[in-house]
Order: sequence, then structure tokens, then C-alpha cells
Amino acid sequence: MLWLLQSGVMRVSEFISFIYSNLDTAAVATYQHLYLSFGSVLLGMLVAIPLGIWLTDKEKLAEKVLAVTGTIQTVPGLAFLGLFLPLLGLGVVPSMTVLFLYSLLPILTNTYTGIKGVSPALVEAGMGMGMSPRQLLFMVKLPLAFPVIIAGIRIASVYIVSWATLAAFVGGGGLGDPILTGIMTADINFILMGAIPAALLALTAGWILGIVERLAIPRGLRG
Amino acid sequence: MVKFKNVVKAYGNLVAVKNLDLEIPEGELVVLIGPSGCGKTTTLKMVNRLIEPTSGSIFIRDRNVMDLNPVALRREIGYVIQQIGLFPNMTIEQNIDVVPRLLGWPAEKRKRRVYELLEMVGMEPDIYAPRYPNELSGGQQQRIGVLRALAAEPPLILMDEPFGALDPIARESLQDELKSLHSRLNKTTIFVTHDMDEALKLADRVVVMNQGEVVQVATPETLLRKPANDFVASFIGKNRLNGESLQSVVEIMLPDPVTVYPQMGLAEGLALMKRKKVDTVLVVDGERKLVGSVAVETLDRERKRAKTIGEIMDQDPPLATIRSQASAKEAFDLIVGEKLKYLPVVDEKGVLVGLVTRNSMVDALASAVWGDEGE
Repeated sequence: MLWLLQSGVMRVSEFISFIYSNLDTAAVATYQHLYLSFGSVLLGMLVAIPLGIWLTDKEKLAEKVLAVTGTIQTVPGLAFLGLFLPLLGLGVVPSMTVLFLYSLLPILTNTYTGIKGVSPALVEAGMGMGMSPRQLLFMVKLPLAFPVIIAGIRIASVYIVSWATLAAFVGGGGLGDPILTGIMTADINFILMGAIPAALLALTAGWILGIVERLAIPRGLRG
Repeated sequence: MVKFKNVVKAYGNLVAVKNLDLEIPEGELVVLIGPSGCGKTTTLKMVNRLIEPTSGSIFIRDRNVMDLNPVALRREIGYVIQQIGLFPNMTIEQNIDVVPRLLGWPAEKRKRRVYELLEMVGMEPDIYAPRYPNELSGGQQQRIGVLRALAAEPPLILMDEPFGALDPIARESLQDELKSLHSRLNKTTIFVTHDMDEALKLADRVVVMNQGEVVQVATPETLLRKPANDFVASFIGKNRLNGESLQSVVEIMLPDPVTVYPQMGLAEGLALMKRKKVDTVLVVDGERKLVGSVAVETLDRERKRAKTIGEIMDQDPPLATIRSQASAKEAFDLIVGEKLKYLPVVDEKGVLVGLVTRNSMVDALASAVWGDEGE
């Protein structure tokens, strides 16, 4: 028992000195990781939010689009990377493409359902008062759907951050790199050097966006 | 002001509005009423093109609405919807000045208008303007809904069952307010409801609709006195309380209440009350003017001490009475509102002419609802 504890303390101190001597590698990997995941989520937002808004008055099409993005979600990440290998080669581009595709579903679904969820009475009131479709969107629909859309971005961010470790398999860099090295050399220190910051990043992203989500609730709707 | 010419709205085979012809003069408050599915809301929404007619035309001040841009058209028409429909993400001020903002009024003019409107309905602007809708009661919210429709001073206002979701007290007070606003501002108003009391209370003219057709267009008075057919009559209700069959308090009072004179001895009074099976009698003087009342308990208690009814009758506080010219409804309101057991009816000289009791009130109500045939 004591031995186990001693060896545990030994391992932690050994890990700390390992990180300390590989700080450069860790910093570069973290930076790449941030770049990969938030770049993909940002791209996802740029596509999914306008698409979601556009789909709100095309219900039939919306169903199909949501089914397609839902299907994308079920393809295993590693398989996807392999699929894109012949098309996009190695590096950052295929990694971000795959992560981008994964970020679409939650952002798209939440944008669509958030706007659809705005009370029809409010939409009718806005229209009846002479708002143009655009004014209705920006004055009524988006402000009311905003918290739901942010929730979609939060969900996407949290799991894109953890899935971005897969980029290492196609030379995309990020915190997957040390993990992969660790697996190949059977060195737990490397694995932890990738896994711990990745987990912390995911938690932090979730926490920060959770706060944004609460702040996004219009004041008149807060309990 | 508004003119419907042979307007039809069909949804496939279902005709919601059939060949509607209707003219609404400037400044009138017209109420469209009918059972659900009669086409009243469809008719209303065709005016601001939330629904487009299948055929026929609608003119506002001689302009065909189909020739106008719907967005611009709607900004010229006040609109109050059934559910309250205030935007929860906006303050009261922002809600009221939506249309002025859409029309590009300068900020200062908008603020002045919001304050003016809030003051008009007695809501302190400094308190209410910065609040959010969820901080207001339902009645206050719909009051804001009405102000919002008035904000840009539209010449025409459409109201789609605006008070339907409110509790009876709030509804009553908003109706009163709308009536007073209308008499002050004289805006042409089209008001949809399925509540006949509301229609009779508010309308200059009532348009009764059934199955997409106009059945009768008439003032409330004419509607009550001369319903066009059985449908209208049954929709009004056979013997409406504020209708002609029960207009006067005289019709619901007991014409010959038990009375005593101040000089009458106590034993005699007690015997009279036992014989007539009443627990209270009214005291009148020689000219039959009402001077007080006395309850059986008082008589019994004071039997040893006093000799005449005059010595023990209640004069203070003065009895609640009602004048014989008053309406039956006023008597009901007094009895129910003040929790009175009875209400003497007097003429202008104070002479007792009758008595409304809770029993006579219930009898009158019953015969109004079920007719007199049961007696």
C-alpha cells in the first residue's frame, strides 16, 4: 500500500520534470490543438448558422439536411480520416475538414430548432406590425433563439476539442501527437502530456461557453 | 375607411369567407363576432394581408390593399393579437416603440411618444418603461399590447380577440379603457371576439358572422331588439340580462315588501314577521318614505325595554338603497359587490316601491336563463 503511494508520488514528480523539460513540445502541441479545434468550430458556425436560419422556412429540405448531418455524425472519425486521405492528403487540411463536418450537426440542429421554437404568436405579432422578414429575424427570432444556438456551439466545441487528437494520425499535429508518440514508444509520460491538456481544454471550453450561454438569455427571459 | 367588396377566402374546398361585402366608416369601432370557424379572424387578417383573399378586394381609404406593399401597409395599421405577443427580449419601452422604430422616428420623438402613451393609461413611465414584459401582470401586458398598436398613430387598428386570455376583472377594466381610448382618439377599430357581452359593450356596430357569411350588421341596441334570425337570437342568448327583458330594477324587485310603522308595537311587529316568514322588515313613515329597518333578533332582544319599533330600528348607517330608474344589472352588482342581503328600491322622493332580495335576484336570473315556462 505504502509502496503504491510512494510510486504514485514518484510518478507524478517524474511526470512534472518530464513536462518541464519538454515544455516547448507541449506548448506547440497545445497551440496546434487550439488552432485545429476552434478553427473547425468557427468554420462550422459560419456554415451551420446561416444554413440553419435559411432552412427554417424550408421544412422538407431541412429534414433531409438534418438527416445527412446526422449520418455524418455516425461515421467513426478514424474512418473518415482514412476516407479523405486520397482526396486531401496529409496534414492540417483533412483534419480540419473532418472536424468541421462533425461540428455541423449540433450547431445546425440547435440553430434550426432554436428559431423554430420561437412562439408563432410573437412571429405573427412582428409580422402584423410590419417587420420585414429580415427585421423579424434580427429583432425577434435570433435574440430569442440565441441561447439555444450558443448551446449548440458549446456542445460542438467540447467534443471537437477531444476529437482533434485524431488529427495526429494524418499529420495534422495537436495534442494527439504526443499521445501517438506515447502509444508507439509505450511511454506513459507522452500520453499524459497530450491527454491532460486536451481534457483541460475541453473542460475550459465547456465552462466558458456555458457562461456565455447564460449571458445570452435575453434579460426579459431570465428567471 | 375600410371597404370589403365581394371578398372570398377559400382553402381548397373549404370556404372560410363567402362573398363578404362590408363598409366600415371612419372612426367606428366595429366588432366581428361569431362562433369559432365563422371567418371573423380570417376577415380581420385579410385587412393587413396576413391572409390574402382568394378573390374580391379590400380598400383602405380607397386604396386596394393588394396594390400596397404588405410591410408598409402593416406599419400603417395597429395590430393587437390574441395572445399577448409582447416581445420578451425587449423592454416595455422597446415593445411600444417597435413600429416607430421601423418607421425611423428619431429617438427623442419615440421616447416622448412612449411616455405619453404610458401616462395616458395611468402607468408611471419612469417605472414601467424600463421593465420587461415578464415583470408585468397579464392585464398590464395587454394594456401595453394596445399601446403598442397605437404608438405610430395609425388611422386603423385591428384587434384579434385581444382580451380573451385575461381573467374577468382584467378583461372588464381593459374593455373600459379601450372604450374610453376609442372615444378620445376616434380610431377606426376592427375588433374580433366570440364574447357577446364584450361585443355589446364595445361596439358601435356589431357584425355577426356564421359559416363565412355576414348574418347581421347592426348597432348593439338593434341587435338586441331585432335579431335578424334565429341564429342571431340564439347567439345573443334568449333573455340577456342587460337586454330588454330585464332592463329595469322594477322588473326584478318584489313589489310589496313587508313594512312596519315606527309607531307599531314590538309584539305586533314580531307577530307580523312570523306570519310573513321574514327576518327583517323595512320601516316606513306615513307617506311610505323609507326611514329604517329592523331585524327580528333586535325585536326579540329589546322586547322588554322598548315599546315601539321607532325606538329600536336601525337608522345608522343608512340603508343601501337603489333608485327605481336603475337597471337590474346595477342592483345585481350592488347586492353581489356589497354582499347585501336585500336592497330596497325607492323613487326620487324616497318612497319605498319595492325590494330586491337575493331570492328575487336568483328568481329573475333563473327566468332569464330558462324562460318563464317553468312557473
